Formats: sequence, structure tokens, C-alpha cells
Amino acid sequence: MAEYWSINPGLEETCKEFLANIPEADVTLEFEIEEKDFVSAGKGSAEVKNVLKRLGIDPAILRRVAVASYEAEINVAAHSNGGKMYCYIHDDFVYIKYEDKGPGINNIEQAMIPGWSTADELVREMGFGAGLGLPNIKKNADFLHIVSEPGGSTSVEILIYYK
Amino acid sequence: MALDKTYYHAIQIIPDNCTGCTSCVRVCPTEAIRVRDGKAFIDTTRCIDCGNCFNMCQFHAIIPKSDSLDIINNYRYKVAIISASFAGQFTEDIPYSTSKRALLELGFDEVAEESMVTEFMVGLIRDYIRKNKDIRPILSSNCPAVIRLIQVKFPSLLPNVLHQEAPMSILTRYLREKIHNDKGLKDTDIGIFLIVPCIAHVTAVHQPEGAYKHLQDGAFSAGMIYGRIRERLRKLNGNQYNIETYEQGLTWALSGVEAEMVDCDDIRTLSVNGVENVLEILSKVEDHYLDQYDYIVLRSCTNGCVGGCLNVENPFVAMSRIKKMIKNAEHKDIDVSEFKELYKDGEFAVAPLEPRSIMELDKDIKQAIQKMKKINEILVLLPGLNCSACGSPTCYALAEDIVCNKASIDDCVVLLKRQQKED
Repeated sequence: MAEYWSINPGLEETCKEFLANIPEADVTLEFEIEEKDFVSAGKGSAEVKNVLKRLGIDPAILRRVAVASYEAEINVAAHSNGGKMYCYIHDDFVYIKYEDKGPGINNIEQAMIPGWSTADELVREMGFGAGLGLPNIKKNADFLHIVSEPGGSTSVEILIYYK
Repeated sequence: MALDKTYYHAIQIIPDNCTGCTSCVRVCPTEAIRVRDGKAFIDTTRCIDCGNCFNMCQFHAIIPKSDSLDIINNYRYKVAIISASFAGQFTEDIPYSTSKRALLELGFDEVAEESMVTEFMVGLIRDYIRKNKDIRPILSSNCPAVIRLIQVKFPSLLPNVLHQEAPMSILTRYLREKIHNDKGLKDTDIGIFLIVPCIAHVTAVHQPEGAYKHLQDGAFSAGMIYGRIRERLRKLNGNQYNIETYEQGLTWALSGVEAEMVDCDDIRTLSVNGVENVLEILSKVEDHYLDQYDYIVLRSCTNGCVGGCLNVENPFVAMSRIKKMIKNAEHKDIDVSEFKELYKDGEFAVAPLEPRSIMELDKDIKQAIQKMKKINEILVLLPGLNCSACGSPTCYALAEDIVCNKASIDDCVVLLKRQQKED
């Protein structure tokens, strides 16, 4: 099993606390992501954006959530056998988890290098697969945690604070 | 300027004609219309004046407001500025110069064309794009419905909007200066009026967003003027007039052609029209998915201003005519030096556009989350048919209306029917 962490400096403690005791969210969203379904991919992140707009989240934060969640959703559609998005909306942060049905990431460190891509022909033809997905998520999230079982499933967790 | 509560809209509902059919409710891109007690009403804070509801209403219950031509008599010197799309409204047997002459004879002292400033505008836009390299993409500013759409639904994109006046307003500023200097008239003696293709432009004249300066004194619907011009044309009886026209600049009426003109080696452009497409593109811009574009032309109507709801001709026919006119146009060199001077002096600058966010459920995020939770609870009780029979556009909108005390669950006709069956 391979694991990857990225936490914005200064937020280590808060994130650890959160993970040790994940509070129940008042508003949750779930979204199925089908394999190679680029027509629907992005609808989940659009939903998240719509909810956050209704909560009056700062526009700059909103755009960070939009980018991170969009890229993560496209990743599931482009690289996995399909999966699901779970979005938990709290009053000071949003926590989003993506779980897929495999086939896992061979080398996460490599996948984090901007421009590095394993995208196949189909994905590239659709205009995706530039190798910027994970780096973009990392750039916009306060906390990113990837756990992957080569040959098995991958989970991607994103956390973004509103302040 | 008017506050949000009394936000001016160039559209009104005639309750006597309204059947409460909810057609308008369903086509509104900002969910601004509700039917309550059998009549439609518009939430003025949400409306962006796109004209979808006016196009959809079969009962003449939604009508545009534009000014009456008589108001020009309040001014000593009267100028009409025609939107580029106007050229596409007349059949090809009527020379453009003749239709301009007919317009003049309606009582104006001067008729100017939006197309006169096209070349200058292209230069201005390119200059702006190059000077604002840290903002990508820049979004076009000349469709007032799009500006209002960004204010209400995409406030995070307001800094991306080209903060310069639209072409007809730039021309207005120039003409005001020129007439004042040439004829020694006071500003209040000069009446400048737009002949506009859409409701949003009427609203923009009466309630300009971000305008620092005095712009126009009224807006006349192209459709209303069209009828009067047809009358005059009969009297002019096919006479030819030696009137200057600027066909080469008519590109402004067509969303795609504007983008093509701005596009060059270092500027990549994208053109989008139709309010549904604009919504989708703005959402992608928000996701930073279109950062590779330097400039995006966004028009709320099909094909751009030729698709305006106050025009008489079909947008595709009008586009074809205008394209032909541009193709056959003789090239005229227009002296833009005076425009450049005004631009340098900041005469065309626009104040930072303010958001008019309509999405927020509550100012306090904890309250907003509680409301969101309630919405989700109500939503599972609703049938999910999105039939609009309750007067709200969707089940989600009804749930939202209930939580915001603007409706009751009893408004749902389907639930009521189910209850009756159970009883």
C-alpha cells in the first residue's frame, strides 16, 4: 500500500485533530463517477460549487474548491474503473473523499510531478491527461491524502478551510 | 444609482394577461420568476434582463419597457446611435443608407452607428488584454445581460470582466464631447439615444453598471423604431441618399466575428452565445478550465446582438445579411485619434463592478448550513418531477423557497393530489 500526504504548513495539528475524530457533517453530497464518462464528469464538482455558493463561501476559496474537486473527479473518470465522491460540508471547511474501484496508482510520488501522465489515447483525445491533475489538487487543497493499493483501489481525501 | 431593492428592469408583467402557465418560470436562467396566486412576478434582485421570459410568453403578459420617441423633444440636439445588429433587420432591397436616412427623419439631428468604433474597440480590447496579463481569461463587457449574470451568479469572476465601457457608450462619450465643442451646447441640451436590440440594453441605459459619466438619455426598441422606419421608407420612395455608412464595422453584432477580430498572434479568443452556453462556460472559467484563453466574448442571445429579443428579423437571417454587408463594404479609414485621447484620459473606464449575489441562503454560515439541511429534508418529501405547477421552477427551488419563507409545502400540487387519494 502506498500513501501520500500534503498538508499546508501551520495546519498539521488541525488536520490531525480532524482525522482523529471526524465530526458528522450537516450537509453531505454523494456522487457516482462512471469510468471514462467525460460527459458527466465534473457534474459532482459543479454540485459542490452550487452548495458552497448558497452558503456564501468567499469567492477565492470557492475557486480553489472548484479546481481541486473538478480535477479529482476527472481523475476518477479518466484513470479508474469508476468510483464515488463523498462531500462533507462543515461550517468552517469542506472535506471531500473520492474512492474508486481500482486499479490503483503504481507510483504516487511520480504522479505528483507536474506533466507526468499515464493517460491513455482516449483520455488524451478528450483533452485531458496533461499530467496536471494531482499537482493542481495539491496546490489548491489545504490537505491532500492519497492512499493507493497497486492493483486495488485508491482513495483521495481533500480538505479546504474557508479562512 | 438605484439600490438593489428598486433595481430597474426594462421588463414588466401585465397581471391581467398572465394565466400563471409557468412557461417563464422554467426558462429563467437565474430562477427569478415565481407564480404565486396564479400570477407571475419577477424578483428584481435576481433578474438579469436576458429576455428569455419575454420570448417565451404566449399571452403578452410580459412586455418590454422602452422609452417613447417623444422624449427626444426634451433636447435641443438629438442623436440616435444604432446598434450594429439593426443593419440586419431590413430586407436587402433597402440600402443601409436609406434606412439611416429614414431614422434621421424621425426627428433626430444626427444618426451615429455603433460600427464606427469597431476598429477602435478592437485596439482597446487588445491593449487591455496585454496590460492585464495577470488576469486570464478577460471576459467581454458589452452584453449587459452577461454582466448582470456574472454579478448575480459568478461574483468571483467580476475582476475578469473588461472594465471599459461598451462600444455604444464609448461612442456616446465621444459624441458628447464633440457636439459640446463643435456646437457650444450644454450637456443637458444634448440628448443621446440608443436604438437597441434587447431588453438588457434598455436596462443598461437606465441603470448603467459601473458608469462614472453621463451616458445616454433613453433607449428605443429596435422593433418599435422598425415600424416607424418602414413608414418613412415608403415616403422616401426608393430615393438614394449620400450618407456615410460603416458596414465594415458591423461585426459587432455577431459574437463569433468579434472574437475573430480580436484574435491575433499573442491573443487567443473564444466566442460563446446563448445564455445556457454562457452559463456553462462561466462555470468552466470558475474552475480555471479555460485559462488558456486570453479573451472570451460572451453574448446572452443566439449569434450575439442579432438575436436580441427586440429585433424583428430571425438571428440567422440577420447574421447572413450583415455578413454580406461586411463582405461588400468598401474599406474606410476612420480617424480614431480622438478616441485614443479619451481612452488615455481614462474617459471610458468603468468603476469596479459590484457583486449582486443571489445565491446566499444566509449571511451567517451556520444559519446557511441549517437552512441547507432543511432544504435537503424537504427535498426528499417532494415528488422530484420539477413540474413547476407550484410556481417555483424546480422541486429544489420550492424547497429553497419554503426554507426562506416564500412558499409552503402545500403549494406542491402533486403532494396535495397524493394526499387526497390517501384520504
